[in-house]
Amino acid sequence: MIKRLNNLPIRQKFAVIIIPLIVIILAFDYLQIRYYYLDYSDSVRLNKAIIVGVEINHVVHEIQKERSISSGYLANEGNGFKQKLERQRYRTDSTLQQYYNELSSGKLDKLMELHRKDLDELNGFFERLTPLRKNIDQRSISSEESIERFSKINDVSLNTVIKLIDETRDKEIAQQIHATIYFLKSKEYASIERAIGTQAFSHSRIDFDLYKRFTSLVAQQNSYLDAFRIISNKESIEYHDQLLKGEEVLEVNRMRQVLFDNDTLAENPNYWYDVSTTKINLLKKVEDYMSDTIQARTEVIASQSVRNFWTFLILDIAIGIAAFWLMTTIVTNLIKNVATLEAYTKRISKGDLKKKVVIPTKDELGQYANTFNQMVLEIRKSQFALRKQRDKANFMYKNIYGVSLVVFENIEQGIFLLDKDFKISKFHSKAMNAIFNNERIAGENFTNFMRPLILPRELEALEMFMRHLFNEDMDEEVVNQLNPIDQVKIHTEAHGVVSTKYIRVEFTRIFRKGKIQNIMVTVSDETESILLQQHLNEAEKKKQQETERVLSILKIDPSILRGFLHNSRKMLKGISERYENNESDDYTELLSFTFNIIHNLKGNAVVIGMELMANKFHDIEETITELKSKKVRGKDFLAVLYEVDEADRMIGEISEMLYKIVNIYQKFPTEGNSSSNIINLENLERGAENIAKEVGKKVKLTFQNNDKVVLPEAYVDPFNDMMIQLVRNSIVHGIESPSSREESGKSETGEIKMQVSKNEHEMFIQYEDDGRGLDLEKIKLQAVEKGIITETELDSMEESEIVNLIFHEGFSTADEADMHAGRGQGMNLVKSIISDCKGAYDISSSEGQAFQMMIKLPILETEEQPEI
Amino acid sequence: MSERLLIVDDSSVMRRTIEKNLSDYDLEIIGQASNGAEAVQMVEDEKPDVVTLDITMPEMDGISCLEEIMKINPDTKVMIITALADKLTGLIALDKGARGFMYKPVNANDLAKAFDKLLKRDGK
Repeated sequence: MIKRLNNLPIRQKFAVIIIPLIVIILAFDYLQIRYYYLDYSDSVRLNKAIIVGVEINHVVHEIQKERSISSGYLANEGNGFKQKLERQRYRTDSTLQQYYNELSSGKLDKLMELHRKDLDELNGFFERLTPLRKNIDQRSISSEESIERFSKINDVSLNTVIKLIDETRDKEIAQQIHATIYFLKSKEYASIERAIGTQAFSHSRIDFDLYKRFTSLVAQQNSYLDAFRIISNKESIEYHDQLLKGEEVLEVNRMRQVLFDNDTLAENPNYWYDVSTTKINLLKKVEDYMSDTIQARTEVIASQSVRNFWTFLILDIAIGIAAFWLMTTIVTNLIKNVATLEAYTKRISKGDLKKKVVIPTKDELGQYANTFNQMVLEIRKSQFALRKQRDKANFMYKNIYGVSLVVFENIEQGIFLLDKDFKISKFHSKAMNAIFNNERIAGENFTNFMRPLILPRELEALEMFMRHLFNEDMDEEVVNQLNPIDQVKIHTEAHGVVSTKYIRVEFTRIFRKGKIQNIMVTVSDETESILLQQHLNEAEKKKQQETERVLSILKIDPSILRGFLHNSRKMLKGISERYENNESDDYTELLSFTFNIIHNLKGNAVVIGMELMANKFHDIEETITELKSKKVRGKDFLAVLYEVDEADRMIGEISEMLYKIVNIYQKFPTEGNSSSNIINLENLERGAENIAKEVGKKVKLTFQNNDKVVLPEAYVDPFNDMMIQLVRNSIVHGIESPSSREESGKSETGEIKMQVSKNEHEMFIQYEDDGRGLDLEKIKLQAVEKGIITETELDSMEESEIVNLIFHEGFSTADEADMHAGRGQGMNLVKSIISDCKGAYDISSSEGQAFQMMIKLPILETEEQPEI
Repeated sequence: MSERLLIVDDSSVMRRTIEKNLSDYDLEIIGQASNGAEAVQMVEDEKPDVVTLDITMPEMDGISCLEEIMKINPDTKVMIITALADKLTGLIALDKGARGFMYKPVNANDLAKAFDKLLKRDGK
């Protein structure tokens, strides 16, 4: 209920307060007006009642007189009072007529309505006068009876008067009315006293009953008079006392005493009647005075009531109008102001701050309006300030932030800020994403960010370093000397591809108000410059290698070198071809094929003194050896192939270089046969020297060609290859160390002889060394160890068969493999070359003395035969 | 009144180099120590204001020595002068209370600058 009241709009709240008030005021007004109206109507009615009452009293007065006269007439048996009676009857009737006139005057309508019954009853009694008078005239009734009947009429009349006037709200008037009533009763008794007296004096005697009646009348008369005296106002009593003190009063009292004494009643009844009447007339005067007084008083009250009524009504209406006007004005004003404020606040809430609110009153609402205006002014002020700041911010954005943004978009360095928690600022240069291959950078903790990129030790240092950077007590330069990621290698991953980068990270303190606010970090990708540096280093190394190559080439006879290079390329190409044609998954055969070729080429390289290539081929051999121990698959072989390709590339490079050098030689020819294409034995000699030096032996190569055999082009390479293998085997295995040679009585320097001869069909190559020959026991041991043959098989073998074991693949008597021998391939290679050339061979060995080999090759049809 | 300096380095050449390079600098050199233990003793006895401290030393290394010095007098201003390239060790030294740091080799100019900073003097 209270809540509903509180929620009402102000207009309705006012209504809730004012409407009950108006109802109360109207009710009060009604009561007050009614009160005045009642006063007025009361007074008016009383006034009219008094007028009627006075008329009735006049009638009563006349009947009283008629009663006394009638009594005297009857008592004197129609002799006395006859004239008097007739005169009195006429007066009684005219008074009665006056009363009737008054009744029918129409002025008494309301009163008549109220008292119709009483008045009708009274009028009925008045009509009884006529039969009474008839009885009196006929003297058919006694004097007492007539008194009785007249008194009855008077009694009713007086009661009617009492009824008429005994209704008033004015206390004073009510009291006076009662005084009047007592007085009227007293007067009635006085009048009856007159009648009885008249009767008694007419008879000159008074019987006992009448006497008793008379004395009680006087007593009643006096007691009513006393009552009158008690309640009447002073003026009426004074008036009464002033009037009733004459001789007539004293005479009445004297004659009353005569009656009381009940002596001889010798008094004249007429005299009694006259003095009594005089006294009663005086009483009537008093009565009239009192009636007049009351009437005047009621008139005053009535007019006063009317005046009061109108005064009140006018005042009430005036005050009502004034109050209504005030109320309306105030409420309207209040509501209007509230509405104004409401509209204004709505306008403010929509952001319209342009207008002021105008409330001219100086009440709270006026104050609110002022406060509002002040508030709006303040808002506008702060709005203005904000707008200014915004403009400034816009300016800043366009001119500073905008520029930084452009810079940050385009700068190649990574730039960002770190806060005290090592968090990366939201705003960082775009390059960061590219440098770290990471889109999640902003807001990350820098330590966590770097964790996967750098070593744990570096990370630990970084964290410590950043802490010191934020420590105001630490000198920035001192701390920066210890930057652990000053230059650091990171591995980033993008789409599964891991790339290595070299980055430089630099830290700078950013101060605000003298405190370290942030650390600015700049990251530069130095990969390119570092890679360039490495590239330069490599190039330098390569240059060195090339120089070496050039120098090595310069040492070697170009024709031999060309032959070597040509042969090498052909052989290496053979490997690739074999690989491409290899259909089975088994690469063992291909591997051993490759090994044979590489081994051969290595020997050639050593022989001609091409250390660079010898080293390379040796590396390939190592790779192959590693693979030989396990089952070889395609992908394993790829590694070999890769190295073979590289060797091929090197050979290509050397060929190119050789081409350039030969060009130079052709431009500036020198003496000698450096451009000759014949196989120069010097090469073999030099090769033998090289190998001998390596293994700490001394050797001498001799060559005989008595038949002037010209080696066909097709045999140049096979010859070279075979000789190189044989020479190497002789030096490594056959020729003993200089000391052991001396011990066995040989010369320090071992001898290797080669002899070329031919007949019509064949060409003979005789090879011989003066080394220790073939050690059959060692061959047997090796053959068994390498699993070439079993011991039981050996037992059934002849010597020549055992010797032939050295041509078996994988056979080597060298204890360790080195660049020159030990892989057990040398003799196998020689054997395969001979069979390639469709030739034949024969070995003879004398233990401790020599090793001999005879190779037969068929003669070929050739155009140009190289001269050996 | 100029501050009192203790030089700690296991290499006498280095000690001499530092001494020589500081000859024109307003510092009173009160002593030299060739290892950590010696240095701690001298700090205890002499209460130097400033210490130059090598990290790699026999007997007691620079970091432990620094810890001891800080225990004796935390107000001692310690300048690490080291050939050690490991930055983590350098940072640990800063953690332990060192306020200056230099890499060997040193020259008079760099030393003066570093000491200006360490002693909060205006570089002249």
